[in-house]
Amino acid sequence: MRANPEVLILEDDAETLDELQNHFARKRFHPLAARSASRALSLLEHNRYSSRPVLAIVDWDLGKAPDRSASSGDVLSRLARELRECPVIVYSQNIDAFNVRSQIQRSHPRALLHDKRDGDASLLERVDRMLDRTVGDLRIHDGTVVVHLPSLDQHHHREAIRLVVHHPDIVSFHSDTATKAVRRFGEWLRDHESAVTLVSHGNRKYRLSVSVSSGETSAGDEA
Amino acid sequence: MGSSARRNDARWSLGVLAPERCRSIVVITADGELAVAVRDTVPTRIAVIRDARPDDALEVAAACLPWPWMVVGATESLTPAMATMLRTRPVLTLWLGPAPAGVPAHALSFARPAALLAAVDSACRANVGGMRLAPGSGVELGDGTLLRGATLDALVGAHPGGFALPSRTFRTVALALARHGAAWTPERDGARVALVPCVREVVRA
Repeated sequence: MRANPEVLILEDDAETLDELQNHFARKRFHPLAARSASRALSLLEHNRYSSRPVLAIVDWDLGKAPDRSASSGDVLSRLARELRECPVIVYSQNIDAFNVRSQIQRSHPRALLHDKRDGDASLLERVDRMLDRTVGDLRIHDGTVVVHLPSLDQHHHREAIRLVVHHPDIVSFHSDTATKAVRRFGEWLRDHESAVTLVSHGNRKYRLSVSVSSGETSAGDEA
Repeated sequence: MGSSARRNDARWSLGVLAPERCRSIVVITADGELAVAVRDTVPTRIAVIRDARPDDALEVAAACLPWPWMVVGATESLTPAMATMLRTRPVLTLWLGPAPAGVPAHALSFARPAALLAAVDSACRANVGGMRLAPGSGVELGDGTLLRGATLDALVGAHPGGFALPSRTFRTVALALARHGAAWTPERDGARVALVPCVREVVRA
């Protein structure tokens, strides 16, 4: 089953936004593109596909945004609170300024920072490096396909991509459809005798585990 | 403050106040500069840096579940509630400049930022006889077993130092380590409890 993973792109410059959008569309992502923070928030709320992007790219400086009713900080806070597992790259011309970095960290403690002065190509290279991940005997190819390396078989669902991108973190899924897709991916891993297994943490939370004969137990104070 | 009022409060919507179970370092400063420096020091997979201001430090700390792994500060005072949290939980406490009144006896203070950052880095890379902090949370034992628990995380990060807390705080960690045959156990050494080699195991061997 195919379901292209989504990428949220917030960039106030129309030309740069087009460029980023085209890049991700070429790679078979479904770009959720916005020129203003309020539009980005609305896409996260009302996106009819899934509203859970596997990656968010946020321009911190929104001086050219057509609507200034919300800020990039508002989008980052929403992502931090409701889409914690979604990796976020924030870029700015002033990324070296400690007050900018502090504001970004307050909005989203996990946001990755990128210097806009390095150019779009450098940003896209970084994104590609993040998305082309290898976990055990699985590899993400082109950001949209999980490949089982020994057999070269492919799995195309975005929820599978999300699990691989976020390994070793636990990922929450928010619909029965997503959870079913995750279980199907778990069966696919078993059928392929992959070194990677799907671990359920209950309440629609899952993570991938690479089997190295290790156990996992509690030391007692977090039950 | 009620939950509906909180939802309308812009400050409450900040991501730094979002609850999370992953290992966290709360940095309390007036301007955030030290938090930026700490973030540059700490490997991203080891801990999330939470940039707090003196007036929201307690709320930020409360969002770190079950409690922060480390609190770094550069303020002259601390709210009584925050001081109580630091005195009753095994939280690594590091201060730039003189530590304010109310911090626990195991708090470390540093005159220079570089020395403080070196101590933060050292805690993140702690290796106690093969036990190391795992990405996100938990401690990886020498045999690859992952033990999850904020108290064990704290003991490993604080090694060879420890915590001025009652021994009972560490009982479950002692049991878990013994169950997995680890060669280390939390033990009182003077006023503090720290990880020490498990003498009993050595004698048996």
